[in-house]
Amino acid sequence: STMAPGKKITARIKRTLPVKGPQAPTLSELMRWYCLNTNTHGCRRIVVSRGRLRRFIWILLTLSAVGLILWQCAELLLNYYSASVSVTVQFQKLPFPAVTICNINPYKYSSMKDYLSELDKETKKALETFYGFSEGKSKVRRSVDEWNSTGSHFFKQIPLLKFEDFSKTVIDLRSGQKRKIEGSVFHKDSSIVNSGDSNDIIGFQLCDANNSSECALYTFSSGVNAIQEWYKLHYMNIMAQIPLETKEKLSYSADDLLLTCFFDGLSCDKRHFTRFHHPLHGNCYTFNSGENGTVLSTSTGGSEYGLQVVLYIDEADYNPFLVTSTGAKIIVHDQNEYPFIEDIGTEIETAAATSIGMHFTRSRKLSKPYSDCTETGDDIPVENLYNKSYSLQICLHSCFQKAMVDSCGCAQYAQPLPAGAEYCNYKKNPNWMYCYYRLHEKFVKEQLGCQQICKDACSFKEWALTTSIAQWPSAVSEDWMLRVLSWDKGQKLNKKLNKTDLANLMVFYKDLNERFISENPANTLVILLSNFGGQLGLWMSCSVVCVIEIVEVFFIDSLSIVMRRQWQKAKKWWNGRKTERSPQVGDLERQGHDNPVCIDEDLPTFNTALRLPLPQDSPLPRTPPPNYSTLRLETAFTEQLPDTLDVGQH
Amino acid sequence: MNLKKYFIRALHRLQKGPGYTYKELLVWYCDNTNTHGPKRIIKEGPKKKLIWFFLTLLFASLVFWQWGILINTYLSYNVTSSLSIGFKTMKFPAVTVCNANPFKYSEVKHLLKELDRLIEAALERILQPTPSNSSENISPPLDLELWHQIPLVLIDEHDKDNPIILDIFESNQGAMGNQSTVGNETIAGNETIAGNETSADNQTTVDYEATCLLCVPQCSHQGSDNCTYRNFTSAAQAVTEWYILQSTSILSKVPLQERIRMGYQAEDMILACLYGAEPCNYKNFTQIYHPDHGNCYIFNWGMDEEALNSSNPGAEFGLKLILDISQQDYIPYLSSAAGARLMLHQQKSFPFLKDQGIYAMAGTETSIGVLVDELERMGYPYSDCTMNGSDVPVKNLYSQYNTSYSIQACLRSCFQNHMSEICGCGHYMFPLPEGVNYCNNEDNPGWAYCYSSLRSSIKYRQICIDSCKETCNDTQYKMTISMADWPSEASEDWIFHILSYERDMSTNVTLDRNGIIKLNIYFQEYNYRTISESAATTIVWLLSSLGGQFGFWMGGSVLCLIEFGEIIIDSLWITIINVISWCKGLKQKRAQARYPDAPPTVSELVEAHTNLGFQHEDVGALPRVEGLPPEPGTPPPNYDSLRVQPHDVLGPDSDTE
Repeated sequence: STMAPGKKITARIKRTLPVKGPQAPTLSELMRWYCLNTNTHGCRRIVVSRGRLRRFIWILLTLSAVGLILWQCAELLLNYYSASVSVTVQFQKLPFPAVTICNINPYKYSSMKDYLSELDKETKKALETFYGFSEGKSKVRRSVDEWNSTGSHFFKQIPLLKFEDFSKTVIDLRSGQKRKIEGSVFHKDSSIVNSGDSNDIIGFQLCDANNSSECALYTFSSGVNAIQEWYKLHYMNIMAQIPLETKEKLSYSADDLLLTCFFDGLSCDKRHFTRFHHPLHGNCYTFNSGENGTVLSTSTGGSEYGLQVVLYIDEADYNPFLVTSTGAKIIVHDQNEYPFIEDIGTEIETAAATSIGMHFTRSRKLSKPYSDCTETGDDIPVENLYNKSYSLQICLHSCFQKAMVDSCGCAQYAQPLPAGAEYCNYKKNPNWMYCYYRLHEKFVKEQLGCQQICKDACSFKEWALTTSIAQWPSAVSEDWMLRVLSWDKGQKLNKKLNKTDLANLMVFYKDLNERFISENPANTLVILLSNFGGQLGLWMSCSVVCVIEIVEVFFIDSLSIVMRRQWQKAKKWWNGRKTERSPQVGDLERQGHDNPVCIDEDLPTFNTALRLPLPQDSPLPRTPPPNYSTLRLETAFTEQLPDTLDVGQH
Repeated sequence: MNLKKYFIRALHRLQKGPGYTYKELLVWYCDNTNTHGPKRIIKEGPKKKLIWFFLTLLFASLVFWQWGILINTYLSYNVTSSLSIGFKTMKFPAVTVCNANPFKYSEVKHLLKELDRLIEAALERILQPTPSNSSENISPPLDLELWHQIPLVLIDEHDKDNPIILDIFESNQGAMGNQSTVGNETIAGNETIAGNETSADNQTTVDYEATCLLCVPQCSHQGSDNCTYRNFTSAAQAVTEWYILQSTSILSKVPLQERIRMGYQAEDMILACLYGAEPCNYKNFTQIYHPDHGNCYIFNWGMDEEALNSSNPGAEFGLKLILDISQQDYIPYLSSAAGARLMLHQQKSFPFLKDQGIYAMAGTETSIGVLVDELERMGYPYSDCTMNGSDVPVKNLYSQYNTSYSIQACLRSCFQNHMSEICGCGHYMFPLPEGVNYCNNEDNPGWAYCYSSLRSSIKYRQICIDSCKETCNDTQYKMTISMADWPSEASEDWIFHILSYERDMSTNVTLDRNGIIKLNIYFQEYNYRTISESAATTIVWLLSSLGGQFGFWMGGSVLCLIEFGEIIIDSLWITIINVISWCKGLKQKRAQARYPDAPPTVSELVEAHTNLGFQHEDVGALPRVEGLPPEPGTPPPNYDSLRVQPHDVLGPDSDTE
């Protein structure tokens, strides 16, 4: 009663839940006890079996069962992060994708004259020098006359060269002089330097402006590619200096491009299209871009219910050097996706009806840890320069642009501008072309690390297209069709339309089935655990309880037994040294149930209660009580240690 | 007998009172159950008891929680998909070929004469707003009957609030005054796409803001009270749509046999056919009348004969066709695109060319490599699909062609059913339900209005989408299409000669580049890609997972559950017996005990029985007490209870037998 309440509680806890060591006195006793009493199946057999061979077999079996369990469970763990694929098809009202349409030619040639006349003149001159070709004699002559006076600064920047003698000597176009090649030679068309035995190879030289001895020669097996590539470099140079507003005006307006529009059985017009300026394709128009917040959807498949447009392709106004094909380019994409029209566009022929049947597939991958893909692109250390949702293409382009700005100091024309950068042009960055080519080379060879940084997007939508072409307008309907379309075009157009100026395009859903391919975790934790349980149970009839038992017996109990043994040894040795002359071993032995005098009234052996007379307090040992050393509960061990005595008396 | 014995025993038990207590029962259960946890609860010291009690409880609840998850997973009926790709001998797809133009113009000219003259005149008016006297003088008076049913009008929207409607054939402007007010109300129609027509652009296209509109009066053709103007931003489209509406009405009155006769005949259209190494001809094709494209011909439809197999990939083993579409005989205003329409589909299915068909261009050779993309799904309850369409609440109108169910057939049937209910007649493009006729302007003057409002009605579309189900086995033919010019300039001459000779027995060339098409249809190197579903969770899976969970946490099995159930039954027994003895106790409160000494209770017996001490002992294990003489002591007690016996036999009631 004088004790503090805290102490009282601890005392009570000590009393009710006494901390005691394991009952087993030795390790082998403990093991034996464990084997006899464990819930696992094999161990008991080891102890119970008679004969060495049998016991050995049982040990072997038990061990192999343990091995099997470990192996199988390891397999289960390793296969935990696997995914199963499910495909669902749902028939439903489908959102119509965005359809971006561009004229293949980016800017009206007629309106670009102010900017490109010099370049075109020099290109023509180059054609004449190399191939003895000239179109429109008078023009060329004039340009030849001007040739010497203007000084041809385009050729000064990037000289066009003709290679002879297996690329050993070159003829400079401008000066006409031969000289030896210095520096490395890069082939655009083939990776082999001596591509066949064509000895006139055309190429151009790019030099490091800071260090004029650093030059790279780019050669092409065909002059067509060389001239186009050379033209394109200069073209980008020029276009980079023109502000966006001007460029938009120079390109085609929606009225120019779209003659008629029909969607889902209803008429539509240019207000359903959003302008989108593409650096290489000029003004493109996106149908159903979702810009005003609404995305059109179709609830009926078939060609009548999709998008039908007639495009006006003014073939006469094409830039002859920049583009060599006629028609339009379209791309079907999601509203959030950036249309990479130069990479994955579909070309549309003129004087034909192109019917594009779509089939919609949506896919979804599991992100980490199942696969290495990204959900939003936020975890990728590349800034998204496009104002659209992440895709691998966007990442690669952004990555390249960033590398370009870092190493060349200006941005490449075909991709969006990063903050604070501006497009390369020869005036400000005289070195950019060399730098760009070098960088592009690296990029293609995966030396920039972009391909390593950029990851796939986890979910993507895909419209599989089936494209087929019919003649349009048909021979008999051509006449009225062209007349009416000319009227549609209005008075702005003075000439009569030609059918090669028109392209008819139909984009529609073949069916309204959405195929959804998704990855699901093949395993959940629940299933993993049940598989574990199945394995444990199958081989050894074991469960988590067994595992706890093992921990209890093999770690806690064994350890404490070893500790106790050591402690007792130490104590014995200490005591023995102290009191050598008083052997009190008998005292110890007389304790416990083996002591014939010992009367344990608490033992619930009812026979003593019922039949045996109570032993009197006599100093002499009478008939000893039956020598049931096992009558006491919980005494599985032959030897008893003093501190384990009262365990089990409850 | 057994039953009687059982009842007697039960009666005795009830009379005697409880042999067990709950505690004894629980201890017995814990000690003897095969489940792993409970044994530990009773075996060791209080600390361990407590720990084991909580562990057992925790594991038991874990097991139940995980079982819940497993059962839930099972009931969600997931599927796993397996994909197989390869080449095998497969049925060659049915190939439907049609001409893009439904009828030969030379055959239908007499029917469409009036209409064509009307449209020519209308175009004349549209293109040259100031009427030129010359054209009107030459032509005989136009039949304006057709015109008044569905007139073409021009709407001038320079003044947004007060658009002017110009009927093309009404020359005086004054008459438009009252009509413009009518148009005023309906012009901002509820069409989704051309919704705010009047809002955005106005100044930019001032000189040609005149929009072509289609007016469809519903009640009568004079007082157009209820008009819907269908806007077209392009005259070309307006004219085409108008022409289609009018010609549909005219052609719907023509009997089917006549329509088939007016279309392209097989022998004219299919000039050459080769399947693998086997020659075939137009007789191998099944004729079907398709409302969009007139006569269509289906190869390998599998209706009467076995479907053909193809066991080799490559163009040499596929179908090669040469078709003639005779472009000069096209109806000029009906279809502006020229070519053959073709489609690959399954045997015994109806070809829906507008949805799945592709074009083949004249003067070219079109090669189509086919990959069969199959999706085999499991039906209910795994996914909501239909095996044969019998459980779809829409009457399949295409069953009259003996074709199998498809989602397209269902949607069209659904539309036609709505149309016949609401408009009272069927649309010409779809098969007819029983007892309904095709719409035409004479019998159903308002049909065009009814049709176009139904067609653009989102509500009815949604009803159809909701009621139709896709088929469980979805087969698609993925096509890789490539084209080349054909015939080449060098071979042109002899090819045309031979084909002309074969067709018309004439030595002159009657064909030209604009009419001739070569088709190659063949299997690709891998001709099938099959995605098949199988149930992810079967009952076997469920049981093994349940067992796995139970085994993992507690080492239990079904037998353990039965044990547990047994204990519950036992405890119920105890309760019953307790209650009965308590009642008895109330009655015989003062009754003398029958026995002077109380019999040993079961608990005592149980304790003795479960006492580990009563086990076989090794003799050597007994520690001998040295020094004590081997006096004869008390004989060992006669413990009959030491014998291991089942409890029931030991019980106090066992002596009644």
